[in-house]
Amino acid sequence: MKKILQLSLGIITSVGGFLEIGSVTTAAQAGAQFGYKLLWAILLGTLCLIFLIEMSGRLAAVSKHTIVDAIRERFGFPFFFFVLLGTVLVAFMVLVAELGGIGFALQILTGIRFPWWALPVSFVVWLLMWKGTFSLIENGASLLGLVTVSFVVAALRLNPDWTSAASGLLPTLPDDDKSKYWFLAVSILGASISPYLTFFYSSGAIEDKWDRTYLPINRVIAAFGMTFGGLLSMAVLIVAALALRPKGIQVETFQQAALMMTTALPKWGFYLFALSMLFACFGAALEISLAISYFFSQGFGWNWSEDVEPSSDARFAFVYTLIIGFAAVPLMFGVDPIKITMMSMALTSATLPLAIVPFLFLMNDPIYLGKHRNGWISNTVVGVVILISFVLAVVSIPLEIMGG
Amino acid sequence: MEVNVELLIGKKVHDADGNKVGRIEEFRVTETDKACTLDAYLIGASALIQRLSAWTLVRPISRALRSSNVYSVYEVPWQDMDLTDPDRPKLRIAKADLRRAR
Amino acid sequence: MHLVRDVLDKKLMDREDCPMGRVGGLVMHVGESGPPRVTHILVGGPTLWMRIHPALGRLSSALGQMWGPRRKEPAKIPWSRVETVGREVKLDVEGKDTGALDWEIWVARHIIEHIPGGGSEEEE
Repeated sequence: MKKILQLSLGIITSVGGFLEIGSVTTAAQAGAQFGYKLLWAILLGTLCLIFLIEMSGRLAAVSKHTIVDAIRERFGFPFFFFVLLGTVLVAFMVLVAELGGIGFALQILTGIRFPWWALPVSFVVWLLMWKGTFSLIENGASLLGLVTVSFVVAALRLNPDWTSAASGLLPTLPDDDKSKYWFLAVSILGASISPYLTFFYSSGAIEDKWDRTYLPINRVIAAFGMTFGGLLSMAVLIVAALALRPKGIQVETFQQAALMMTTALPKWGFYLFALSMLFACFGAALEISLAISYFFSQGFGWNWSEDVEPSSDARFAFVYTLIIGFAAVPLMFGVDPIKITMMSMALTSATLPLAIVPFLFLMNDPIYLGKHRNGWISNTVVGVVILISFVLAVVSIPLEIMGG
Repeated sequence: MEVNVELLIGKKVHDADGNKVGRIEEFRVTETDKACTLDAYLIGASALIQRLSAWTLVRPISRALRSSNVYSVYEVPWQDMDLTDPDRPKLRIAKADLRRAR
Repeated sequence: MHLVRDVLDKKLMDREDCPMGRVGGLVMHVGESGPPRVTHILVGGPTLWMRIHPALGRLSSALGQMWGPRRKEPAKIPWSRVETVGREVKLDVEGKDTGALDWEIWVARHIIEHIPGGGSEEEE
C-alpha cells in the first residue's frame, strides 16, 4: 500500500515535465496554430520520458546512487562539472520562468501585475523548502497539481473528433509555416525531455528510501506518472485547437492562453486555467529548485535531504536559498517569463546530449546495476533519445531564431 | 617525491625511445593493512573503458564492427615508469617490451 | 583495486557514518626504492579545480583564503585511516576533525543559523 502512494513522486515529476509554463505554452501555441498536427511530439516526449524516468528510479533503487552521484563517480569531476554548467544554467532559466508563471496566474486572479508577485512567490517557494519535508512537497504538489485535470474536462466538453486527433499522433507536415512547426516540435520535446526531471526522480527515490523491492512499482510510477502528464499536455493542445484555432487566436501572451478554457467552461474556465497554472508552476518551481540543489550537493558530496533541518545540510540549503532569491530578480524587473521559457526550451534541447549520453553508460554498468542492467529495448530507446537529443541540439537554436 | 594521482589521469606517456604509448587511465593497487601500494599503471583506450565500467556496452559494438584495436591496454609495472616530471611521464623501457593486459 | 574507478570521486563517510564530501584527489609518494604508496586522500575545492585547469585551482585557493574558513591547504586525510573501500570510502576519523567539513560548518554557522528556522548545530 505504501508503495502505491509513491505514485505521487511520479505525478509531481510529470507535472514538472508536462504541465509547467513551457509545456503548456508550447502545447497551446501548437494547438492554436496547427490543430492536432503536433500531438506526435507530445507522444514522443512522453515515451522517451517513461523510459528515462524508469531508468533513473532503477539506478537509485539498485545502486543507492542518484544519477548525479553516478556521473561524478564514473566520469570524474571535470566531466561532472561540464554537465553541471550545461544543465544547471538552463534549469535556472526554467525556474525563473516557473516563478513567472505563478506570477502570471496570480495576475489573472487578482489583477496585480506579475513583477509585484516575484518576491512573495519566491518567498513562499523558499519557505516550503526551508520548513517542509520531501513527503510534504511530493504529496502536496501532486495533490494540488491534480487541478490540471480541468484541461481534460475542457477537452472532453469540446467534443473533439477523435479520429482527427488520433491522426495527429503520426507526424504530418503542415502546408505552410514549416519553420514554426518544427520550432514548436523541438520546443515541445525540449520542454518535456528535461534532464532535471531525471535528477529529481532519482533523488526522490533515495529520499523515499527505495530498494530493489520497489523495482516493479517504479515501472508503474514511471509509466503512469509520465502518461498522466502527457495526456494532460495533449488535452491542452486539443483545447487550444478547438477553442483558439477557429477564432484565429495565436497564443502570444499568457492571457491569450487563458482564453482557451472559457469556450469549454464559460463560467469557471478562466479561473481554472489560472489555478491550474498556479499549482502546476508551483510544483515545477519546487521540483527544479530541489533538482539544482541536489545536483550541487550530490556532485560535491555534501549532506543533502529535505527531511533534515537546514543547518544539518547547510550547503544544500544555501544553494536553494541563493537560486530562488536570484530567480526572483529578472521577474522583479518585468522580464517576460514567456520569452525566458522559449529561450530555456531551446537551450534545454541544445544541452540535452550532455545529460543523456552518460545514461547509456550508467545503465549498462554491472557494478551499479548487476543483473538489473538495461536490456536491448531500453538501450535502443536511450540510443534513440541520444539521436533525438543531438538533432535537437543542432537545430534548436537556429529554429529559435527562424521560427520563434 | 609527492605526486597527485588525479593529475596523472590522461597524461600522455612515451617510452624510452620517445615513441608514444598512450594515456594513463588507471592505477592498479594492492591494499594491505593500512597501506595502499601501486602495482601498475594501465595505459590505453581499453583502460578508459574499464574505468568507465563500459565493457558490457563496448564489447558487443566492437564485436559487431570486428574491431580488435579497442582491446589494447598496456600494463606498466611501477618500476618501469619514470615520474621525475609528472607532467611528462615516460617509460624506462621500450614499448615493445611492455606486456599487454586484458 | 583500481584507484580511479574504485576510490577517486567516491563519497567519504566518517566513523559515525556521516558524509564528509568526496575523494577529490590522492597523494602518492614515489620513493627512491620500493613501489609508490598512496599516502593521503585530498578533499576540497582547489584539488577539484586543479583537475580542470591549474589556473582555476590557484584561483580557488586564493579565494578560499580570503573568506569562508580560510584554509591554506586542502583537507588531507592519511590513507592509514581508511577502513573499507566499497560503495563509499569509510574512514576511521571524526569528520569535523579532518577539515573536510570546514565549509559546511562555516555556512551553517555564518549563514543558515542566522535565518529563522535554520536550526543549530547542537551536537558537537
